[in-house]
Amino acid sequence: MNLLEVTTLSKSFDQGKTMALDQVSFTIKQGKVIAIVGESGSAKTTLIRLISGLETPDYGVIKLKGEVISSLETMVPPEKRNVGLVFQDYALFPHLTVAANVGYGIKDKTMKEARIAEVLNLVGLAGYEKRYPHQLSGGQQQRVALARAIAPQPELLILDEPFSNLDTMLREQLRNEIFEIIKKTAITAIFVTHDTEDALAVSDRIMVLKKGKLIQKDKAKALYKKPDTPYVASLFGTIIELKNNVLEEFGFTPETNKHYALRAQDIKIEKTTKYQLEVQLKRVQFMGEYYQIEVITSNGNQFMIHAPKKYKQETLTIGFNPKNLLVFETN
Amino acid sequence: MTKQAGNKNTIYSVSNSIKRFKRDINQWSITTLTIVFIIAIPILTIFFKLFSGPGETWDHIVKNLLPKYLTNTSLLIIGCTTLVLLMGVSAAWIVSRYEFPYRKQLEWLLILPLAIPSYITAYSYAGVFDYGGTLELLFRTVGTTLPKIDIMNVSGLILILSLSLYPYVYVSARTVFLTQANNLIEASKLLGVGEFKTFFKLILPLARPAIIGGLILVLMEVLNDYGAAKYYGVSTFTTGIFRAWFALEEPETAVYLSAILVTIIFGLIMIEKWQRRKIGYHNDIKNNVILKRKNTTKKKRWLLFFLASIPAVLGFIIPVLQLLYWASLTFTTVFSWDFMSISLQSLSIALLAAVLTVGFALGLIYMSKWNKLKLIKNLTKISILGYAIPGAVIAVGVMIPTLIIDKWLNRMIAAAFDHNIGLVINGTIIGLTYAYMVRFLAVGYNPIEANALKIGDRLAESSRILGKSNIKTFFKINFPLIQKGVISGLLLVFVDVMKELPLTLILKPYDVSTLAVKAYEYASDELIAEAALPSLLIIITGILPVIFLNKLITK
Amino acid sequence: MSITKYLVLVSVFFMAISCKTDKKTEVKEEAPVVTKTQEVNVYTHRHYAADQELFAQFEKETGIKVNVVNAKADELMQKMTSEGEQSPADVLITVDAGRLVRAKDKGLLQGVTSTTLDKNIPAHLRDTDNAWFALTKRARVIVYAKDRVKPEALSTYEELTSDKWKKKILIRSSSNIYNQSLLASIIAHDGVEKAKAWAEGMVANMARTPKGNDRDQVKAVVGGEGDIAVVNTYYIGKLLNSKNPEEVKAGEGVGIFFPNQDGRGTHINVSGAGVAKYAPNKENAIKFIEFLSSKAAQEVFATANYEYPVNPEVKASELLTSWGAFKEDVLPLAKLGENNKKAVITFDEAGWQ
Repeated sequence: MNLLEVTTLSKSFDQGKTMALDQVSFTIKQGKVIAIVGESGSAKTTLIRLISGLETPDYGVIKLKGEVISSLETMVPPEKRNVGLVFQDYALFPHLTVAANVGYGIKDKTMKEARIAEVLNLVGLAGYEKRYPHQLSGGQQQRVALARAIAPQPELLILDEPFSNLDTMLREQLRNEIFEIIKKTAITAIFVTHDTEDALAVSDRIMVLKKGKLIQKDKAKALYKKPDTPYVASLFGTIIELKNNVLEEFGFTPETNKHYALRAQDIKIEKTTKYQLEVQLKRVQFMGEYYQIEVITSNGNQFMIHAPKKYKQETLTIGFNPKNLLVFETN
Repeated sequence: MTKQAGNKNTIYSVSNSIKRFKRDINQWSITTLTIVFIIAIPILTIFFKLFSGPGETWDHIVKNLLPKYLTNTSLLIIGCTTLVLLMGVSAAWIVSRYEFPYRKQLEWLLILPLAIPSYITAYSYAGVFDYGGTLELLFRTVGTTLPKIDIMNVSGLILILSLSLYPYVYVSARTVFLTQANNLIEASKLLGVGEFKTFFKLILPLARPAIIGGLILVLMEVLNDYGAAKYYGVSTFTTGIFRAWFALEEPETAVYLSAILVTIIFGLIMIEKWQRRKIGYHNDIKNNVILKRKNTTKKKRWLLFFLASIPAVLGFIIPVLQLLYWASLTFTTVFSWDFMSISLQSLSIALLAAVLTVGFALGLIYMSKWNKLKLIKNLTKISILGYAIPGAVIAVGVMIPTLIIDKWLNRMIAAAFDHNIGLVINGTIIGLTYAYMVRFLAVGYNPIEANALKIGDRLAESSRILGKSNIKTFFKINFPLIQKGVISGLLLVFVDVMKELPLTLILKPYDVSTLAVKAYEYASDELIAEAALPSLLIIITGILPVIFLNKLITK
Repeated sequence: MSITKYLVLVSVFFMAISCKTDKKTEVKEEAPVVTKTQEVNVYTHRHYAADQELFAQFEKETGIKVNVVNAKADELMQKMTSEGEQSPADVLITVDAGRLVRAKDKGLLQGVTSTTLDKNIPAHLRDTDNAWFALTKRARVIVYAKDRVKPEALSTYEELTSDKWKKKILIRSSSNIYNQSLLASIIAHDGVEKAKAWAEGMVANMARTPKGNDRDQVKAVVGGEGDIAVVNTYYIGKLLNSKNPEEVKAGEGVGIFFPNQDGRGTHINVSGAGVAKYAPNKENAIKFIEFLSSKAAQEVFATANYEYPVNPEVKASELLTSWGAFKEDVLPLAKLGENNKKAVITFDEAGWQ
């Protein structure tokens, strides 16, 4: 069953001169965790503000559990949508204790105390009830924000860049923890992130937004394997676009109206692959986990490849397997 | 992914725009509009009066008086800007950068001139430099005489206004120096840049928006001044408005003059708006460290003390001493039960006006947020223009429309109940408070809005999403967090109402009087010494909130 | 936050008080309807202790409550104009004749008949239609530095424009009504052209740009900034009785000269009262003005305020009598009002600030 149904959702902040969000449509099934990936300016924040009711759409329909919550005629206010939202900066109420923050949205007064305890337990912050937000670490604040959002048992939970304020070490740990919690509560969730790694780690499906348009939505693996555009492909790591004449040098015959790319690690420096080519090594640069090598073909085409170790010889044989080729339609 | 038919043209078609408007208009849009309308009526009244054409003496005024008004007003703007910046900024820098004896006391003493209405400072300085005045007496006791110093002219007025208004600049500059200068100074030190250069090249530009903001307030007050300019015989736009209205009996001409004045003031406001746009990124600096003060040699420390105390001594201590001297001469004649009751009335009126004004400001700030129509959001700005318009002009603007309402009410009630209720709004506390609200809404509005901006919208949005309505969110989240702004607003309006003169004179009910009115009555009856006691009381009621505000700012 | 609590408490306290004052005024406003005979609403430009004493005495004698609105005459008239038929004003009191005439012209006053007033106030000090009545008189005189100027050197207002007074005259700004009335009287006698020439001559002879009030002019004469000044008698009285010894000294330093004694007489101005056109308590208003013109009240005016009484039965105060009797300009005071605007414009054209 579709929990959320978004149809041709549009929003502009200048009366249509530039579209912040341009006719975006998608659905989310009950119980799924979906990630929205996009760089800044892709309108992912606008999208979730529209879903949560903080903004009014210029066009399009949002349905939650089959009921229209936003359209040209209706606008259900945020407090009546039963959507949970964890802001990027957590937005904890500074003048309220942890318990009061978490209990803030609980409607059933009789259950309040028990629910606060339950949720705080879930996020591992039992015993912190009397503290104030400024007495907590960043990670703890993040968990209080999560606890506060799930305490009223929303139908849909939205997390806006939940890990962007945390350092790398804490980030991975917390990401897993929070994913655990979300899975445990079986809640439908939307993750907004600019970090594909986060998206891959936690979600069932990934939606890619670019400049206000939804450009691809699929399972993580499918998205990785069959990206529609080089942009989507590049979200998962460096890709090397190979012009059709370079491919021909490898002995591969490209189709017309198609263009191709390879993930950096799929260009191998060995002679075992199907298509091979001898190239001149131009420059080697140490990049930490790999070496970046600039090569030049006998026809004078230049491109970069990644290598696991340093090569000293002047000529290299590189190659790829056709199943690894990323194929895009040329418009 | 489904591709839908629908392009920009259909999305922004007229019928869809109407649908969106119907969807987005809510009770808050209407309340906001109502509040804006109520506050803007007097301003609009003045505006529409402009279309009825100037009076017959307009040509006469343009020919004989306008050049003088323009030169004097320009001189005042230029002179006050220079003096106020000099005193305000240097005093602010000295007290925030250096440690010296009695620094803490001086820090708040420097704000106190704000508690004295400038017309009172003007009266007392006239007394100091008068024939047989305090200065002459002092020199006579040591056996010398002094050439007569004439203070009652444009230069004197510039000095007086600067002395009583520089704290606006001082306060805003000091806040920036204290909270944001430390990083810069430390960075410059590492780069080996001298402190002098750091101040002019880095710190001053950083503080500039705040300083300009303070300066704009000063200039608005300068342009609104009536009492001091009148007494010192300097013709300005504001005295010209009174002259055209009352001596030439042409309110239309007065309105025309006000329009020119208001244009000047709006020009200044636009400058401030433009300045504020730039301020944005400065405030993003997080984890500000309070500026560490420098210790210097003993001699230098006393020199600093001396320098920083000049504005405070001239702007506060000398006028207060002069008033105290006068009050000691006239205390027995002025002080009475009647006087006590006037003081009490003054306080209650100011308090009532402050509470209502801040209430309206809060309503306006938040309801316009809850309203989803951008057009109405932009309209709210109209309602804070009152502060830029001279009190006397506001008074006319209030009187014209409220009388229409009063007369209509009278007819209705007379027809229905055969009972004459008299004027309900005009010449009653209702009309007076309403006029104060129109005039001082901006004073209450600005600190609250600044505080609300600092808090941001996230918290309220979180609360909404957690199931609380706008109103509940306001009481549970917004209000507790903007208390500082609300208190600042209350105090500022309170002090301003206590000092307000021309508007009160015109609109106050009978047998209600205020301290400012009392002081003015004495002064205009050439009983300056008798005006000292009510003046001192105004100052005292002004001092307490000023001290409190200072604490709020430095916290 | 304890400060907030404290503030809330204080606010509640003051709110309570102000509610009370609110009620008080409301009750008073309703009063005319319920008990019409018990009050009189006075719009007055005069705000002297002596007046308040008199009002209190009136209340005591008649049981009629006096409600006072104090403001400048111009503002009061503006207020009455706007209020129209709803105006609660019964009596308008101003400190100069010009304003009274203007109020009458604007239809703010009504003529009344009172034999008492006819008897107490001489005809030239009353409006022809009895729309207003003078209550006190002030003379606009020339004062001179006793140590530098001989009174024989002085003669008329017109003579002040002669070259011998170059840089010697002190006089206040033209926005002052007494100066406006003086010029209005000159316009009435000699016409606008001559009046303008006089104003220009005065400006040329001024010791400084006009500033301050009448007292300041006297002080400046004593201080040596100029030799003579044009001021109202009333303020000399105030100076001589000041609490400030320096002011007394200033008052004693000048002599008083009544100009134009051989011609039309010294310019006088009056403060006076009229019954408002829409007075809700007309009878009380008449009683009130009658009371102020009575011998007893006029004596209070004469002694407490250094003004000349209008009631011929009452003598001026000792101080005023000591300055000597003088011939006063009997120009109908209405002329002052008629020519006021012309006077203001003439001042502006002459560059009199």
